[in-house]
Amino acid sequence: MTAPATDLDDATLRALIPRLRRFARSLVHEPAAADDLVQATLERALIHGRARHTPDALQGWLFSILYRQFVDEHRRAQRWRRLAQLFGQAEPEHAPSAESVTATRATLAAFDTLPAEQRALLLLVSVEGFSYREVAQTLGVPIGTVMSRLARARQALRVASETAPRSDRPVLKVLR
Amino acid sequence: MIHLAPSEADLHAYVDGQLDGEARGEIERWLAAHPERAAVVADWKRDAERLRVSQALPEHWPANPMLEPAHLRRRVRARRRARLGLAAALLLSLGLGTGVGWQAKQMQVASARLPMADAVSAYRLFAVSDRGDTLDAAGRAQLQDWLTGHFGPLGAMPDLQAQGFHLVGGQRLSTEQGAAAMLVYADANGARIGVYVRPGGWFREPGQRRDGELLAQYWSHGNTSFAVVSPFDNRRARGVASLLGPQG
Repeated sequence: MTAPATDLDDATLRALIPRLRRFARSLVHEPAAADDLVQATLERALIHGRARHTPDALQGWLFSILYRQFVDEHRRAQRWRRLAQLFGQAEPEHAPSAESVTATRATLAAFDTLPAEQRALLLLVSVEGFSYREVAQTLGVPIGTVMSRLARARQALRVASETAPRSDRPVLKVLR
Repeated sequence: MIHLAPSEADLHAYVDGQLDGEARGEIERWLAAHPERAAVVADWKRDAERLRVSQALPEHWPANPMLEPAHLRRRVRARRRARLGLAAALLLSLGLGTGVGWQAKQMQVASARLPMADAVSAYRLFAVSDRGDTLDAAGRAQLQDWLTGHFGPLGAMPDLQAQGFHLVGGQRLSTEQGAAAMLVYADANGARIGVYVRPGGWFREPGQRRDGELLAQYWSHGNTSFAVVSPFDNRRARGVASLLGPQG
């Protein structure tokens, strides 16, 4: 019943937690809410823990639990937002900060304006270095969908970075 | 040599380092011959690199104790135990006779009820504002008669003049066990305390509890219970309340 010691032992958890937090923060802007997501994910994993043979599989499994939890919560929130809109109390989508000063920050600000689905994809591919197959498994979509979404996400990030606040322009030029 | 343009998917795979050496070489040669596509690919690469930099080293983020493995394991264990406990309780109440079950329920009900909750709600209803302060001398005498009728000598209204409090209101109330009353005292500064008396002698020991902004101090005398309710943050009112106390 209990998972073998090599599976979800403290050392493995400690190694994975920072990356899970990063993934969660790419989905949820609020750091505390992102950590809540990680906590819920790990508790779920500890409860349903079963043997995973390779560290990669374990990591993919945890990321996919986190993503599913996020999607479920997001759907719930979306329903509420729609309901609120029906009653004319639409919450404005929060705008990204306009005071980014470096190109990196501009990219990050642009990244923040993308839909969560695209953020998750770019983070897994560009930052985590997941293979397309691993990304497909984590997000629960076919690999063809990963490819088409990736093309769209890269394009969207490009457009958002180009239209970054004016103050970023000179810095971008310098770095080019 | 490659003559066909690589697919967009190939270009992304190239950016993400997901091609083997040979395929990568082909793309590189093709890009060298197609500078406008090469610029796009370079942009993608730079975006990815900046994203990596901006997201680097989550290990250095401030630690969150909620995410400590030991803490997580404790929570999971507690949840398992709670679930087991619930199942055990269910089995127990199913398996045991109705007599025992009934008794357990009574105990549960008793522990779920906060002591002197009625005194606190009576204070909130009648003593928080001075709107109920309509007691004149005649009304006071009538109220004293009524109290004596129901509680005998225990129903004597306390005299708090020496502490600066005087009686400003009184409400006759009813409980399941019989008549009850809430007496309201106020001082010159507007501090207000409620003295509540009701039938039933549950408290073998005097007790007190905080309920929001209020403090209730209670005790039983024979078959009658008393509560003195005062604002929690008003030390003077609290002091007077404790003066009334079980021996008062």
